[in-house]
Amino acid sequence: MEPSIAAEELYPIAVLIDELKHEDVTLRLNAIRRLSTIALALGSERTRTELIPFLEDSLDDEDEVLTVLAEELGKFVPYVGGSEYANVLLIPLETFAGVEEPFVREKAVESLDKVCVEMSREQVEEHFMPLIKRLTSAEWFTNKVSVTALFPTVYEKVSDESKASLRQLYSQLVYDDAPMVRRAAATHLTLLIPHIERELIVSEIVPWFMFLAQDDQDSVRLLTIDILIAIAESLGAERAREQLFDQLKKLFADKSWRVRYMVADRFEALAVAVSAGDEVVLKEGFVPAMVKLLKDSEAEVRTVIAKQVPGFCQLVDAETVIQEIMPGIEELVDDQSQHVRAALATKISGLAPILGKEDTIKYLLPMFLQMLKDEFPEVRLNIICKLEQVNKVIGIDLLSQSLLPAITQLAQDKQWRVRLAIIEYIPLLASQLGVEFFDTQLRDLYMAWLRDSVYSIREAASENLRNLTKVFGVEWAQSTIMPKVIEAGENPNYLYRMTSIAAATTLAGEVTVDVIKNSIVPFLDGMVGDPIPNIRFTVARSYESVSLLARAKAAAEEERSAAESMISDIILPSLEKLKTDEDVDVRFYADKSLKAIG
Amino acid sequence: MSDLDKAIGLLKDCQIIPEDQVRDLCARAQELLIEERNVQVVDAPVTICGDIHGQFHDLITLFEHGGQCPDTNYLFLGDFVDRGFYSLESFLLLLCLKVRYPDRITLIRGNHESRQITTVYGFYDECIRKYGSANVWRYCCDVFDYLALGALVGGPGGVFCVHGGLSPAVKSLDQIRLIDRKQEVPHEGAMCDLLWSDPDDIDGWGVSPRGAGYLFGADKVKEFNHNNDLSLIARAHQLVMEGYKEMFDGEIVTVWSAPNYCYRCGNVAAILTIDDKLTRTYEVFEAAPQESKGMPAKKPAADYFL
Repeated sequence: MEPSIAAEELYPIAVLIDELKHEDVTLRLNAIRRLSTIALALGSERTRTELIPFLEDSLDDEDEVLTVLAEELGKFVPYVGGSEYANVLLIPLETFAGVEEPFVREKAVESLDKVCVEMSREQVEEHFMPLIKRLTSAEWFTNKVSVTALFPTVYEKVSDESKASLRQLYSQLVYDDAPMVRRAAATHLTLLIPHIERELIVSEIVPWFMFLAQDDQDSVRLLTIDILIAIAESLGAERAREQLFDQLKKLFADKSWRVRYMVADRFEALAVAVSAGDEVVLKEGFVPAMVKLLKDSEAEVRTVIAKQVPGFCQLVDAETVIQEIMPGIEELVDDQSQHVRAALATKISGLAPILGKEDTIKYLLPMFLQMLKDEFPEVRLNIICKLEQVNKVIGIDLLSQSLLPAITQLAQDKQWRVRLAIIEYIPLLASQLGVEFFDTQLRDLYMAWLRDSVYSIREAASENLRNLTKVFGVEWAQSTIMPKVIEAGENPNYLYRMTSIAAATTLAGEVTVDVIKNSIVPFLDGMVGDPIPNIRFTVARSYESVSLLARAKAAAEEERSAAESMISDIILPSLEKLKTDEDVDVRFYADKSLKAIG
Repeated sequence: MSDLDKAIGLLKDCQIIPEDQVRDLCARAQELLIEERNVQVVDAPVTICGDIHGQFHDLITLFEHGGQCPDTNYLFLGDFVDRGFYSLESFLLLLCLKVRYPDRITLIRGNHESRQITTVYGFYDECIRKYGSANVWRYCCDVFDYLALGALVGGPGGVFCVHGGLSPAVKSLDQIRLIDRKQEVPHEGAMCDLLWSDPDDIDGWGVSPRGAGYLFGADKVKEFNHNNDLSLIARAHQLVMEGYKEMFDGEIVTVWSAPNYCYRCGNVAAILTIDDKLTRTYEVFEAAPQESKGMPAKKPAADYFL
């Protein structure tokens, strides 16, 4: 390599290294993000002997810088000369794993884990095991919290002897005095359990679980639910029950609502893991627990258990659902918390396939009807959004009778965001209800949205005409919708006239060239002379999309000439006229459309 | 797509634009605003909006209600900045729209569009926080000096729009037209009063508790409207829980467009559409839902600029 070239190439590197020491934090941050460039330029040896020690010196930088540095070092194995030198990275990362700022620790632990994956078994024994020991027996809790996350990867890569000592170290963490450490140990135990030999679970891990499950801090106890699921998955349901079922029953009725919340949130997973389909266990262990949680004193707990209802009910027979669980669900329909009712509303329709048609009509339909009248709009909306499942079970006739009043009410809700949500649901509903039902019951409602006082509602209504046309077809759009849109174009308020132009333009995307030529373009052309400039430039913009759509649609020769004659006879002259308009925006959009049409 | 359209897109996502772009934008805005009159004439139909106060997400909700610019014509009555978390984004978005569609949107000056007030009520600090220097604040303040003081919607029997209200020094619109407006808002005099005064149930003029401007009664409003052939004075400047409030037999209205003011007042907001026949339609709206608002975390990520 020519020395002069090398010097030139190294110059930017020198700048980067300068920036690493710069007093402006943003510059230091940028330099660290490009640390790999520096390392690459220095070569692996100088990276090991110069760059890493230099970085170790900068360990007392701002947390923000350290976070990025800790993250970058995780990708550094190739730059220090491959996995055989990976251990040089452990020194700075170990320090980061002990700092006070959780973000830095988190990134350091992730990076340590990455480095560990790259290391050979011998290296792990030689360098990583001592690191784990040092962190575990450190004075300060931050080291101990960090180290818990490292065990799963290390455990896979060491000898049986070291595995035993790792378990011994982990038990120190489980029995630590500081709740922060116990919390971290409990969190990562879930991930460690799959790696531990099955025969050791009962003798070594179950006692840890028992200890943590009786912790006086509820923030520790609530973490044991996931540990229990992990143990059950490892041991198998039957042996897990022998060991853990009594403790689980205590957790079901824990005095802290946060623990019960966690139980409720994981209810289905718990039931699957612990019962493995055993009906007696489900009926005697889990059904009563669910019934109790459905009546929990805390609304948060009831909210999450409501979401678990259909998933859990799939595991037991319909008879049990009706006899035991249904009364609890019926109570939630009148729950005093709107959030509980809203949660139930999203999930309750999932019961219909489980119950079958007859029982759905008998038990679920009354609940639907009541929830469709709920004073809280989100409840009503959640029910409507999930009606498809019910529709499949009981059929549209029965459903539509009960549905209509609720839709009508939602369509006129004071909250415009509720109206917006229902509009977006209308095409789906329309496809389920059919054209006749729509025309007699919903069309006028829909047209009212095109005159809504809120712009977003008008916009959504005109946008959704496209989807409705997809459902009901061109014929329908032309005979039923177009006349209404044209009628709306005569509204004295310019904002409503604008919506009707938007609606006509949307429809142009779905109808034939013939309809565009005979209804849409004449309608637009009638508004070229509108007194309000905003209308005139909306027409100018609309002409562009309508022309391009007509051209794209024209397949047959005949249609093509119809489209071109429409453009040259009507649209272009109108645009030329608009191009000389007194208003600058009208001129701008007319010119833009002329250029686009070409 | 032009740079301006890109900037509008960025700002609508609540992101700031680079400092040099702000400088260019402000320079172009000044060129445009210098041509406007002290009482800018605005064609009906137009939608009149009151204080925004940096509540960016509520400004977006306002557009969702009233329609997007340029489809709907807008007139903003000032107080774009201060108090809310996103004064910069709100003001720059409005300014971009102004430069892009000068005939479709009109901005007039509020009492917060001033160097002195913005250093106290948040806009200055926000600029320092988001750009690291006071340059952007300086560019914006230079634009403030060029904003019109009022607007006249419609011809005879039209609507006079102003941020605060009337002044004892102003009997006719022509007197406003004579003010040299390109300056920091003074502490007294006609220009100050237009931006600071409030209507009140009194006779004649009263002392304003704000320490600037005056209180003015129904008689003064009716006299002013009669003498200047106006049907309505539309102004902002005061929080109204219901979003808008007509007073004095509908001859003056307060329009307030910052819902849940300061994220805590629990009020609704309103906009007023004046159509080509000068009929008034009020549209009331509520604050943007909490989750879309992206409230800044309690502890800012890092203070780069300390």
